[in-house]
Amino acid sequence: MFVNYLKIAIRSLMRQKFYTLINLIGLSFGIAAFLLIGIYVQRELGFDNHITKRDRIFRVVEIQNEPGVGEQHVAITMGPLAKAMKEDFPQVVNAVRLMSGFNISVVSYEDKYFSERNLYYADPSVIDMFDVNILYGDPKTVMAEPRTVLLSKKVAEKYFGNAEDAIGKTLMFDKTSIRVSGVMEDQPETTHFFFDMLVPIVTAEVLPEFEWMKSWGSNSMVTYVELDNASSMENVNQGFDDFLERRVFSTKDTWQYLEMYLQPLNNVYLKSGHIKFQNMSASGDANMVTIFIVISILILLIACVNFINIAIARSVKRSREVGMRKVLGAGRGSLIIQFISESVIITLASLVIALGIVEIVLPELNKLLGTTFSIEFFSNPLFNIGLLLLFIGISLASGYYPAFYLSRLQPIAVLKGVSSASGKRTGFLSKTLVVFQFVISIGLILSVLVIHDQVDFIRKKDLGIHYNNVFYVGFGDKGYEKLQVVKSELLQNPAISNVAGCSFLNGVGGSQGPVFVSDSAETKLYVRFGFVDEDFFKTMDIKFADGRDLDGKQPTDVNRVSIINQAAVTALGWDNAIGKSFRYPGASDSSGKSEIVGVINDYHYYSLRSQIEPAIWTWQPEKFRGVVVKLADGAKPDEAKTFLEDKWKEIFPGQPVQIVDALNYGAKSYKSDQSSFTLFIYFTLISLLLSCLGLFGITSLVLEQKTRSIGIRKVLGGEVWQITYMLIKNYLVLVLIAGMIALPLGYYLMQLQLDGFAYRISINVFHMVVPVIAAMLIAFSTIIYRALKAANANPVEALKYE
Amino acid sequence: MIKAVNLSKVFRTDEVETTALNKVSFEIKKGEFVAIMGPSGCGKSTLLNILGLLDNPSDGEYYFLEKEVSKFSEKQRANTRKHNIGFVFQNFNLIDELNVNENVELPLIYLGLSSSERKKRVESALEQMQIMHRRKHFPLQLSGGQQQRVAVARAVVANPHLILADEPTGNLDSAHGEEVMNLLASLNQNGTTIIMVTHSQRDAEYAQRIIRLFDGQIINENIKAGKTEMNAI
Repeated sequence: MFVNYLKIAIRSLMRQKFYTLINLIGLSFGIAAFLLIGIYVQRELGFDNHITKRDRIFRVVEIQNEPGVGEQHVAITMGPLAKAMKEDFPQVVNAVRLMSGFNISVVSYEDKYFSERNLYYADPSVIDMFDVNILYGDPKTVMAEPRTVLLSKKVAEKYFGNAEDAIGKTLMFDKTSIRVSGVMEDQPETTHFFFDMLVPIVTAEVLPEFEWMKSWGSNSMVTYVELDNASSMENVNQGFDDFLERRVFSTKDTWQYLEMYLQPLNNVYLKSGHIKFQNMSASGDANMVTIFIVISILILLIACVNFINIAIARSVKRSREVGMRKVLGAGRGSLIIQFISESVIITLASLVIALGIVEIVLPELNKLLGTTFSIEFFSNPLFNIGLLLLFIGISLASGYYPAFYLSRLQPIAVLKGVSSASGKRTGFLSKTLVVFQFVISIGLILSVLVIHDQVDFIRKKDLGIHYNNVFYVGFGDKGYEKLQVVKSELLQNPAISNVAGCSFLNGVGGSQGPVFVSDSAETKLYVRFGFVDEDFFKTMDIKFADGRDLDGKQPTDVNRVSIINQAAVTALGWDNAIGKSFRYPGASDSSGKSEIVGVINDYHYYSLRSQIEPAIWTWQPEKFRGVVVKLADGAKPDEAKTFLEDKWKEIFPGQPVQIVDALNYGAKSYKSDQSSFTLFIYFTLISLLLSCLGLFGITSLVLEQKTRSIGIRKVLGGEVWQITYMLIKNYLVLVLIAGMIALPLGYYLMQLQLDGFAYRISINVFHMVVPVIAAMLIAFSTIIYRALKAANANPVEALKYE
Repeated sequence: MIKAVNLSKVFRTDEVETTALNKVSFEIKKGEFVAIMGPSGCGKSTLLNILGLLDNPSDGEYYFLEKEVSKFSEKQRANTRKHNIGFVFQNFNLIDELNVNENVELPLIYLGLSSSERKKRVESALEQMQIMHRRKHFPLQLSGGQQQRVAVARAVVANPHLILADEPTGNLDSAHGEEVMNLLASLNQNGTTIIMVTHSQRDAEYAQRIIRLFDGQIINENIKAGKTEMNAI
């Protein structure tokens, strides 16, 4: 019996090759897009899932309240916090501090030396809380002793060739010898906090230069706490005010009033956009994930609507078949099974094709996103369950209408001819569905245009700082001593036009803090600090709005004067900043005074997503960590790079050379935006294509049903263009209706999206008109072929059809 | 008015070649009422389609209003058609989405007449066919007889020289059938040439001449003093 159903279903599908093909293409691309997005979304949602206690682990976030500046959330906290929380909150069962090994510039073993980015100081509790799996060594003692290090397998192999041999070996951390205490399994890619070298934090704590770790005055590490259970979060959050008052005397009246709250570990990866300073190796965007989920559902919906639409249109034709079957004794159940088996076959075939497409596209997607996705049939039960649900869902969704509607028809009514009422109803339904598809298409075209323009705007916007032909070469924390040597050596090469010392190539360091206007004890500004020498602004082509640049001929410029940006001037409400002065902790003048000698134009030291904040630049050579090198016009970057490498080895022997191409750095600040937008645009195009495909299918069917009326019109003298125009006109009206629904909706949603950017375009008429025209063109070109064909057909054929 | 010389029509499908018309020759004069008769599949409808310029013959010559039209393009045929020929079909072939008024108006739109002219002509045709009171109805709301009267109104509204009727009473009961035949007869009396395909001997009696077809060939061309002529006397 079942075989019989299958046979009939396959035959019926084969007889309607054209529509079967449209359904197959539509569904398989729809499913493929859905699966691809699904894989991406599953990864984004699956961050930190390897941490078994993740529901009970929280990151401590601090809110700094600055009068005049507002509050800012930071995930960098104080050294004593972890211990104090364990003492004061009974709910806190464990806590761990992680601090970047920023003071270690080079790690070496024999002739191998590297600068390690994922090196952290940590409390021993990290092993238990973060499920660190120890491969070699005793889990209880690997983090117990100072001046030891726990290596990941990969890092151990990098230095020693073989992970097992690493234990007991000695690595040099700059000039300190550190013993390898154990080897841990590599951290998964999907962690927000990637570390591959862990040093017990006592190693730093006991050193005199880390004395500040014991005070509450400095924020420099991430604190995670483990609670007795997840619901204790509220209690801890409520207890923070008392806790802070007790521990740091912070009350609402103090000038630097602090608040704290716990952020669930599960939220850290996706929902940390509002937090400023954080030590994270990866961060996602919950917004983007939502957008992708919506798109994937839309794509699938479009594919199913295509299927249903074609089924409806065909139902008119097939109602006769159904009537005949009923006359011959077919029951309703058997008819339902028959129609459902057709959609089951199509869905199954589409699923197989979709998996093939995914297999082909996945490597490209990986290239785009820098990921390592793969289809995991065996190890990913979610994927398999998802596939099964998809299969059942689509089969039912798309088989439902023909199966239940057609099987309900009364044979007599059907054989007499479809009643006009049901004809009108299906007509209305399929028109509604066509409008629905155009609403989605127009909305998507609108968003593509807006997003494209926004990305373009950001790419072309003058950052105010010029990264072209600039390299940054780091020299660590002691390199500044040789700055003059570096400058004179490099400038001997005619390919190099400028060299300037700086804290980083964007001119600012990571640090932020308060400064006081010197003539008042109260007026205070929270600023970002930058450390540069007299050549930096020239080299990076940053323009001055007022005053002068730092001057090498004036020795007092070192450490004693400040350059500020216009944002700072605005924040302080000054008309003229020149001549005024600041006091701040870093100034070396005995009075702590630093005179403002220049105001530079605001430039984007971070991405365009964030507003330019007030900043101060001073000339403090000991804060320099490298130089920016500007190439002369016409110089070859590759040759210059080789030259820099050679010089570096000469001037700083035994140190790894790190050269950053500034242009790449500049691009990086919006790279993640760009790759998700690229992805977004791809998927939008897919859904557009699917919509067109559906439109083509449905048009073909509608025209097939209009054959008779087209024939009559031709017999009566209607010309091809008149009939074509009539057919197309109807569709264009549908597009206009869709436009009226889609544009306001799209406008609203895109405005929400744009609000995430500090610097953004505004949505204009062009963005609104083009999608409608595009949709009309799409409709027009899809229909014109079919319409012309129908209108050109011999009317005799058309009349015979009935 | 019409002269057919050795008209042939051959239909080809993948495997079968069917000769629907085999060297048919005849002549029809202006103002004649001719019935074409014959068993199913003898080529009646094929012949009517060719005479109505809906289809081209495979071979032979066809003179319509003294012009050889057998090699006309679809565009030329459409143009000749809309100015000269009205059609009445067995299944009426009204457009379901248009009401009575709009159905009748359609040929005039394609002729490019002004809307006031169209209104005048449509009203006069509907009155002539006594269907004026149903002008806002849709085809599916009408009886078969009423539908066929609408179809006749549509066929005459453009004042064609020739009306082609394909089994006009085939879907009607005898009372409605007679009504339609009388309409055609009176049109003929007013000078319109009528060619009608029919199975019904009774309907054929209205014609002045009967052409009998069998297997695509004319077997009998019988000029008779028909009912119409007698009525006319």
